[in-house]
Amino acid sequence: MNFQDKTTNLTDAPEASTGTTLSARRRSFLGVLIGFITSGIAVPLGLAVGRFTIGPALSDSNAEQWVGAGPLTGIPEGRPVKRIVTISQEVGWGSFTEPGSVWVIRNSEAITVFSAVCPHLGCSINASAKGFICPCHQSSWNSAGVKTGGPTPRDMDVLEHRIENDALLVKYQAFKQGIAQKEKV
Amino acid sequence: MARVSILTRMAATRTAEFRDWFDERTGASETARAALAEPIRGGARWTYVFGSGLAFLAALQALTGIALSIYYVPSSDHAHASVVFIQKAVPAGALLRGLHHYGASAMIVLIVMHLTQVFLFGAYKAKRELVWVTGVVMLLVILAFAFTGYLLPWDQAAYFGTKVGTSIAGEVPVIGEIQRRIMLGGTDLTTLTLSRFFTAHILLFPLALLVMIATHILLFRRAGAAGPYHRRDDHRVDSFYPKQMLMDAVFMLILFVALAVLSTKWPAELGPQADPTSDYLARPPWYFLPLFQLLKYFPGKLSLIPTVLLPGALFTTLLLLPFADRRAERHPLRRPIATGMLALILAGAAGLIVLSKYEDRTNKEFSVKIKEQEEAARAFMTAKFQPQVIGQAIAAMPAAGAPPAAFSENCAMCHGDRGEGNEVGPALTGITEKPGRAPEDLLKLLKDSRAYGLKDPMPESFELAEDEKRQIVEWLKKLK
Repeated sequence: MNFQDKTTNLTDAPEASTGTTLSARRRSFLGVLIGFITSGIAVPLGLAVGRFTIGPALSDSNAEQWVGAGPLTGIPEGRPVKRIVTISQEVGWGSFTEPGSVWVIRNSEAITVFSAVCPHLGCSINASAKGFICPCHQSSWNSAGVKTGGPTPRDMDVLEHRIENDALLVKYQAFKQGIAQKEKV
Repeated sequence: MARVSILTRMAATRTAEFRDWFDERTGASETARAALAEPIRGGARWTYVFGSGLAFLAALQALTGIALSIYYVPSSDHAHASVVFIQKAVPAGALLRGLHHYGASAMIVLIVMHLTQVFLFGAYKAKRELVWVTGVVMLLVILAFAFTGYLLPWDQAAYFGTKVGTSIAGEVPVIGEIQRRIMLGGTDLTTLTLSRFFTAHILLFPLALLVMIATHILLFRRAGAAGPYHRRDDHRVDSFYPKQMLMDAVFMLILFVALAVLSTKWPAELGPQADPTSDYLARPPWYFLPLFQLLKYFPGKLSLIPTVLLPGALFTTLLLLPFADRRAERHPLRRPIATGMLALILAGAAGLIVLSKYEDRTNKEFSVKIKEQEEAARAFMTAKFQPQVIGQAIAAMPAAGAPPAAFSENCAMCHGDRGEGNEVGPALTGITEKPGRAPEDLLKLLKDSRAYGLKDPMPESFELAEDEKRQIVEWLKKLK
């Protein structure tokens, strides 16, 4: 079938039979004018809604903070323990206080603190007989946090820590997922 | 050059081919052409822009409403905080909330103008009865939108306005109490009320309005435009495109610019969070003022007249109008009863609005209170955005330990269970390090707070034993 001779141009809509006749030039001029006016509404409105929707989405995380991770006593030699920390974070309309978890391990006198967030896709890492394992996709690490298997792109993320009055303080923060380097979000 | 022109021609052929392919399957250009070629008897007119203007406003309300719902939380303990966030912190938030707020009022103004125009032109008569009926139903839907949307910010005006509104719904004989409880989701205005108002406002009513708009336009297209009542121009017929469409577009632009200017110059008001214990003087939004004013003239049992009987009679009359008034005559001056009634209703409504404003302004007690409330709302609007604190009390616990019983009994009501502060009193965290608030100052302050410049509602003197005061101050020293 041949459609080539069909007119599909909207400005060529048939004139009403007894109507006032406008020249084709005037019709297309008015058409352009309508286009300008509707764009005059749509463009600023679209920009405002777009900016509003993006909102705070592109601003950096403000979760980075020093938090208490409990007393030093009770951290056994060579066996990881999970410590719950309290993260205060401003999110949109609220200032929220929510729990977060970290893994702490002691090797002789040296203490290492790991983020419990898997660098692969963000599940919570668990302790295993040989070190650590992520339950979602079976990524595994040894007790020093060095990657030993599974899809994880890197070793476990080490968090800065310091000790004050026999209490462990941890610099809680988030890192980018899915890449080989440890990079702050 | 030749190469380029061949390429352009090839591209043009491809585009045309695609257009034909698409058209054969969808009939898009045929539909568009039919829509644009709609004949307008008597020619394009500025008096016809209200319908398109309303469709535009409905679309604008939908768009801004969807945007607002990204951040809004329909729960009584966070709704206000989330609206404050939208208003003060989200980029373009004040503009979009303003467009939505003023857009709602504009819809009510415009639908009244639209109905008035159709009424004066006698365009509700034979074969357009159902177009009119669907239009009147949409007026009801829009009022329902306004009523439910008004509560969502959960500020003082929203809370008390809705309280009065739902109480009025409860006064209807027989079904009143059940109706009120179903509206509220219980015996009182609570977070459950907010949830159901929200669902009605963003899901139920939009769906209803969408169906009504589609039906309205379909029925209108089927009947065709009535043309002016004088029929002088009946020989002239314009197609919708381009003249009427241009007029409609210009009107939409005017509406949009006006709403944007209003939202920027006079941001949509937002008062302090609803406080059920306050003695807030509730006033309905302007479009409910006529009923509010009438309520003053019909005390007690008679209040059913303005709250139920009059609105009921008005809407019944409007709905039945095309079936009651069946004469072919369309000229407004040759329909003196109908036109007179319309003029009376419009002038009456406008007069009642003016009267209620006038009475509030001239009544000493009311005007002072309203001014106070407006001041509070203005102060709240200009204050910097502060995120709502959630769960901070737990964080303050470990260092200071549990507060002494004397604190819990005397101070916690205003300063929070752990001195974290609340709507009444400020937080006391780190207070002993502030000037004039050293421990020995605090001991004296608890004897005579006025000497330290403190005002109501901090009590002048406390009935506390010396060692109770010392316990409190000792605890405050640790509160960091």
